[in-house]
Amino acid sequence: MANFVQLVILGLLAGGIYVAVGVGFGLVWGVLNIVNLAHGALVIIGGYITWQLFTALHLDPFLTLPVDAVALFVLGYALQRGVINRIIRAPLLFTFLLTFGLNLVLVNILLLIFGSDFRSVTPAYAGKGFEFGSIVIPYVPLISLGAAILLSAGLAFLLNRTRIGLAINAIAADRDAAQLVGIDLRHAYAVTYGLGAACAGVAGGLIALIQAITPTAGEPYTLQAFVVVILGGLGRVSATVVGGLAFGLVEVFAQSIPGSGSVFANAIAFGLLVLVLVTRPQGLMGRLR
Amino acid sequence: MSAVAATPQLELRGVTKRFGGVAAVDGVNFEVAKGDIVGIIGPNGAGKTTLLNCISGIHHLDSGDIRWEGASIAGMAPHRIANLGIGRTFQIVKPFGSMTARENVAIGALFGSAHMRRGMKQAFALADEVLELVGLKAKADQPVSALTIPDRKRLEVARAVATRPQLLLLDEVMAGLNNVEIDEALEMVRSVHATGVTVLLIEHVMRVIVGVCRRAIVLDSGRVLAEGEPEVVLRDERVIEAYLGERYAKRLKSS
Repeated sequence: MANFVQLVILGLLAGGIYVAVGVGFGLVWGVLNIVNLAHGALVIIGGYITWQLFTALHLDPFLTLPVDAVALFVLGYALQRGVINRIIRAPLLFTFLLTFGLNLVLVNILLLIFGSDFRSVTPAYAGKGFEFGSIVIPYVPLISLGAAILLSAGLAFLLNRTRIGLAINAIAADRDAAQLVGIDLRHAYAVTYGLGAACAGVAGGLIALIQAITPTAGEPYTLQAFVVVILGGLGRVSATVVGGLAFGLVEVFAQSIPGSGSVFANAIAFGLLVLVLVTRPQGLMGRLR
Repeated sequence: MSAVAATPQLELRGVTKRFGGVAAVDGVNFEVAKGDIVGIIGPNGAGKTTLLNCISGIHHLDSGDIRWEGASIAGMAPHRIANLGIGRTFQIVKPFGSMTARENVAIGALFGSAHMRRGMKQAFALADEVLELVGLKAKADQPVSALTIPDRKRLEVARAVATRPQLLLLDEVMAGLNNVEIDEALEMVRSVHATGVTVLLIEHVMRVIVGVCRRAIVLDSGRVLAEGEPEVVLRDERVIEAYLGERYAKRLKSS
């Protein structure tokens, strides 16, 4: 029983990262209809910013998250305005090609700057945690989960309660009608992509705390973001939160099977994805459109 | 010294839009004065919707010019034209499907005319006012998917009105409505016009044109065929011909 509780806790904590990785990816996909293959690269840029600030300035890694968000928002806004906007109405394949290319460019720029060495962020409290009898709650994943939930809540607030958020919802619903009530499509698109990138940056900061990063370390996260968004259901932040936590739980339970390891965990996680697509194609929390 | 004629609010000069070899709109000239209410009629394919698309910036002109209060707006992005105070509805309604009626209208109020910009609270307050004006108050919190077709048309008008336009372009808001609904919609257009908004509307229902318009412009094959008071224009032989064909028009005349 204690073991089961421990696994649930670890699963939810692991889910925090997937929530953070998923929300930005889901936003860009849902609003711009772009499956952003450069998401993982943006994630890892956030990781390097956190690492750089932690190493050079000895800032607490969690305090660097707002810096990740702002820097990546600016980068994302510029990328959309300058590059991605050219294919905004193009077929899906073009968006794949362009974002895949962007991913390569960004990863190689990181290789030029930081090299391919493993970099890790280890604050003094890393590896420690609360202990309740036999149950352990590690600090870093706990704060990460909190940060991911805060990030999602902030994004949901922005999308539902602010002027630019309603503009983003409007362009997601009908682009033509949106521009004819006076919404500047190019600006709204760029803000959307910028927000997606900002979320990726925060996710990257969290990831740098749980694993050593290299410029290519972001790639698996693009795939996982994809799974998380499908799992929860496209179109709502809350759905992605559920998807991310569910993915974390499945992964942790799968890894706990004796002799399993990460290979089995992936097979089970993606098996679950197929199962969801067959039985509930709109996702766990999604609404049919 | 003679009085200088007031600049018309909207002025079209030789507006032409081609699709391939076909000129959908071909050298159209007319003016709309501030506070006027003008109807555009014409047979199917006459270029009416294309003309509205030219005014609201969806189409780029192939030649000619469109002036808004004396300044050219040809080639301007649609959202900037909307920001100037030109609102519009679509023949096939385009609501923001994921939102409630109230949110749809509030977005109109949040954006729209730039000099009328307002905050979230005022935008939702204005949305409630406009929903009352078009008779949708009771359904404000319903999602778009729960609205009937006439209600969706009302919503389309409400969203455009909430942008606080100085000129409102209405594209067949009465199409598909029954007689009672048309009367209600007419009342709605009159009350919007009464708030000081210039209205330019496309309509197939002649009762609407005669009922609310001071002036009618007849388009045929992309050109202005006739222009004037609705009753006069509708008795014009060329107009009857354009609608019914030459032979039927002759028979009508001889009988």
